[in-house]
Amino acid sequence: MADFFNTYGHLIISTLFGAMLGLSIYLPLMAGQLSLASPGFYSLGGYIAAILSTQFFPRSEGTYPLHFLGVEVILSAILSGILAIALGILVLRLRGIYLAIATIAFGEIIRILALNLEITGGAVGIFGIPQPFDIPLAYLWIAIPLLILVMFLVYRLEKTNVGLALRAIQVDELAANSMGINSTKYKVLAFTLGAILAGIVGTISAHFLNTWNARQGTFDSSIIYLAFVLIGGSKTFVGPVFGGILLTALPEVLREIGNIRLIIFGILIVLGTIFFPQGFITPNLLKKWRK
Amino acid sequence: MTKHQITPILQLNNITKKFGGLLAVDAVSFTVVQNEIFGLIGPNGAGKTTIFNMLSGLITPDLGQINYLGQDLTKLQSYQIAQRGIARTFQNLRLLGNLSALENVLVPCNVHHKTDFLADFLGLPKAQLAQKKTYSKAKELLDLVGLSDNIKQQANNFSYGDQRRLEIARALALEPKLLLLDEPAAGMNTSEKASLSDLIRQIRDQFNLTIILIEHHIPLVMSLCERIAVLDFGKLISLGEPEQVKNDPLVIEAYLGNE
Repeated sequence: MADFFNTYGHLIISTLFGAMLGLSIYLPLMAGQLSLASPGFYSLGGYIAAILSTQFFPRSEGTYPLHFLGVEVILSAILSGILAIALGILVLRLRGIYLAIATIAFGEIIRILALNLEITGGAVGIFGIPQPFDIPLAYLWIAIPLLILVMFLVYRLEKTNVGLALRAIQVDELAANSMGINSTKYKVLAFTLGAILAGIVGTISAHFLNTWNARQGTFDSSIIYLAFVLIGGSKTFVGPVFGGILLTALPEVLREIGNIRLIIFGILIVLGTIFFPQGFITPNLLKKWRK
Repeated sequence: MTKHQITPILQLNNITKKFGGLLAVDAVSFTVVQNEIFGLIGPNGAGKTTIFNMLSGLITPDLGQINYLGQDLTKLQSYQIAQRGIARTFQNLRLLGNLSALENVLVPCNVHHKTDFLADFLGLPKAQLAQKKTYSKAKELLDLVGLSDNIKQQANNFSYGDQRRLEIARALALEPKLLLLDEPAAGMNTSEKASLSDLIRQIRDQFNLTIILIEHHIPLVMSLCERIAVLDFGKLISLGEPEQVKNDPLVIEAYLGNE
């Protein structure tokens, strides 16, 4: 058991982060908005953690105080939220693929800024982000409760009237508007919730990974997060969680078979989309399991 | 004639809409009074649905004002217009297909029965109570239009006539003062049309509605509407009571052509 966790602990924690990043794409999708802004907010959250913990908060002997981490998380959530509202009002007029492109552009802006600003450490990034735990495995004590909490929040959100309004917008925005729903407001809300989640995951990831640089949260990771949702299933929140865990774990689990693992990973994604166009986890499948 | 029938609820003043070079609606003015059933007819492409789209805020007129109970609708977004009590149905149905019939009606119900989000989120008793109320209201409306069975079924699976009635129930859930029905009888058979006529009269009386109706089935319009406006190529060519309109040479010309 201990051996298992020593070998795979890092991977398990990564998969849980992956699940949450999948959910951060799923949230705007609840209102039918294909946004790929998550990596940008993930990167932003990471830089907030990296800068605060290495440059502003006093360095102390031993482990990094958890309440400092708490302050970083709250600050990331607030900053991501404010930025997402401003960005959302601007870009959510766009639909479909155009929105995706605009949100990718946002991620690029964050990346270019990070590469060129002094405070973000330029191309080198920020090293030696302090650890709040003695052993990396202890991050499980943050990742597991956080994932459960986020899943519960999304689950409850879907049950509320707000959740119903989001579904109405997802199906037919024009019809939703003519039923008195202010779709702009709800779209910005869903977008902002996704951004806050991505920002928080970035903050914790920065500590977990020990270093943060402009290679975090690039364009290709936005495609990977989207794959979490598409392969896992975009019709229920269980889908992106499953997809995030599976697709984060797969390349590592396949590591033993050598370099062809990435080819197999690619083939699996292609086969997945052909045979499970709705994703692996669909609402109907969940109903069957319940019976 | 009762007294409130003379109060205007909606005034279109010189409404004009161009699509590129096409003058879809050309300086149309008319007034709809409270509690009447008002017919809007005309050959295909006359601009009837375009007028509905302007009334419900989906498009903005190029010129003119729409006065609804003292407010200018041309400055409002479609959701604001819906919240102010103008509900509509669509010519080519816009139900939320993969939501259930009940959910389709619940969506506009919630616009008026705002629950405290936090209470709703936490599933507190007061939110559950509010939810029960909106559920029973939605069920009543579905009963009213004759859809008490299969309300948990996806809206997609309903027959065409039932989908049309479901759209009416959904529009009523907005608690409108003015209801816009865009070809409510399209695709219905004779007996369905007859019961639709009765239903429209019934909801007008029960909910104190004003109804504007676009319809191609002329017998239904003639028997149901108290006044009728006739459009042709975007122009209002006739306006009056059914008998008057029926004998108007301009109307006959628009529908049948002249010698």
